[in-house]
Amino acid sequence: MSEMKQEKNRTTKNLIITVAAVFFFFSLFQLDVISETFLASFDGLLGITSTMFPPTLDEPIDIFGAAVESLQVAIMGTVFGILFSILLAAFAARNLAPHWSISYAVKTFAAFVRAVPALIWALLFIVAVGLGPTPRILALAVNSIGMLVKIYAESIEEIDESVLDAVKATGASKFQVIMQGVVPMLLSTFISWSVFRFDINIRYAAVLGVVGAGGIGWELVRASRMLAYDQMLAITLVIFGMILAVEMLTRFMKDRVIQVNAKASS
Amino acid sequence: MSRSVEGTLEQPLELPPRTENKDLLGLYKDWQRRKKMVRKNRAWILGIIFLAVVWSWYATEFTLLYLISGAGNIAAFIATDLFPPDLSSIPMFIGPALETLYMSYAGMVISVAISLILAFLIARNMKFHPIISFICRSIVTFLRAVPALVWGIILVSAIGLGPFAGMVAVALSGVGILGKAFSDIVEEIDMDQVGAVKATGANWFQVVGQSVWPQFKSGFVGWSLYKLDLNIREAAVLGMVGAGGIGIVLERSISLFQYQEAAMGILMIFALILLVEFTTAKIRERIL
Repeated sequence: MSEMKQEKNRTTKNLIITVAAVFFFFSLFQLDVISETFLASFDGLLGITSTMFPPTLDEPIDIFGAAVESLQVAIMGTVFGILFSILLAAFAARNLAPHWSISYAVKTFAAFVRAVPALIWALLFIVAVGLGPTPRILALAVNSIGMLVKIYAESIEEIDESVLDAVKATGASKFQVIMQGVVPMLLSTFISWSVFRFDINIRYAAVLGVVGAGGIGWELVRASRMLAYDQMLAITLVIFGMILAVEMLTRFMKDRVIQVNAKASS
Repeated sequence: MSRSVEGTLEQPLELPPRTENKDLLGLYKDWQRRKKMVRKNRAWILGIIFLAVVWSWYATEFTLLYLISGAGNIAAFIATDLFPPDLSSIPMFIGPALETLYMSYAGMVISVAISLILAFLIARNMKFHPIISFICRSIVTFLRAVPALVWGIILVSAIGLGPFAGMVAVALSGVGILGKAFSDIVEEIDMDQVGAVKATGANWFQVVGQSVWPQFKSGFVGWSLYKLDLNIREAAVLGMVGAGGIGIVLERSISLFQYQEAAMGILMIFALILLVEFTTAKIRERIL
């Protein structure tokens, strides 16, 4: 690297750092944080933390039922998201699509769907299909499609053609080529991303109830409107426990697969 | 979130007794036994997943008809109610959109600053007192597992409506993600290099500047910018619970049935996300 280029790089870096710092203080100023609101809100925070303890769940409402419903919504949303993503990814992958324009159309659709947050999808689906768990399932499925189609399509595009040729050379039928050549190559990427998506969906499912009655998110909003801070803390702890439990379960299953596979091939 | 293969394999595996029999039949039996082991495991896991799906399907009373009618309804809804987006409402969204940007950026910087401290306290190779690191690790895990929107709801009722609550919510969830990411990076730092720099008689600042920072930098910048990308998405919806930003206006338009305005708001969020992702990608390119 020439000296001038180094100098230029250093200047750009310094410039970026300076702009970043200035923008930070500008943002704080714009958010009106530097004034007395900050101190006032600190007092408010201290005030409610003392009323938060001990967390209570003494209301007749069924918090655990709501948590289970959120879990079920997450499972359904993920399953349908995965199914439709696989279907769409086959059309989005350049090496499988019947025509390049279809691939572009599906990919643009996925990019648009991805850009709209899950909560907004839930709002739109509530308007379109009404209340209940259904709009949340559909919102999660659609939001998953946005992410998974992109990732599945990319992994299909990365398929190593020479392996397929090798399988074909053994005289395998089309079905055998797919089962012995394509599926093993895609499976691990598909599974790890699907599991990752499930971890995301369980978080979304916990909060999707915020916009439409139902699920544990709604219970939280309800408690916050009643200013029942002790209940809010308890519900937050239930959400935390639910997410942690699901994450531990998926991790346990993943580890078990890895262990058994290692054992079998040792 | 996930452990590496190597990490898992550190646990001693109970290896099946290897058949010393070299004849083909023995090898075939051995292969069959291994195959059976994998199949059994796979059947178990598929069974659990299948049961979970059936259980949820039954409990949520979902029917496939909803899929068709839902898709039809949403398509009709988007085509008739959302289009065309109301261009005259752009000025209404500009201010809140900027507020969202400020919220997510300030939240990101704050969470980076806090995470940096926590990361060094958590990292095992920094050898702080195990109780301190355990407490910090638990805090980070808790902050990560609770979604930003939940923090938003709690903070709005604690410190009032407005972007300040949103900023703190985004910062809290940021500490959860970045605290873990940074501590992982610190744990991977090559201590031999640090030792080598120390051996030259460098003072603490020189040690950090010459050996720790260069190893830390790329992960630090990458994760911070990634968090900024996430923050924009989170901040865009935080407004729906009253925590400031574009979500407030969007929620209001939807609840007033002003769907064409709402469509414009969604487009603005889309544009904001694209803009931020483009900028972070450029900065990443420049700094790394």
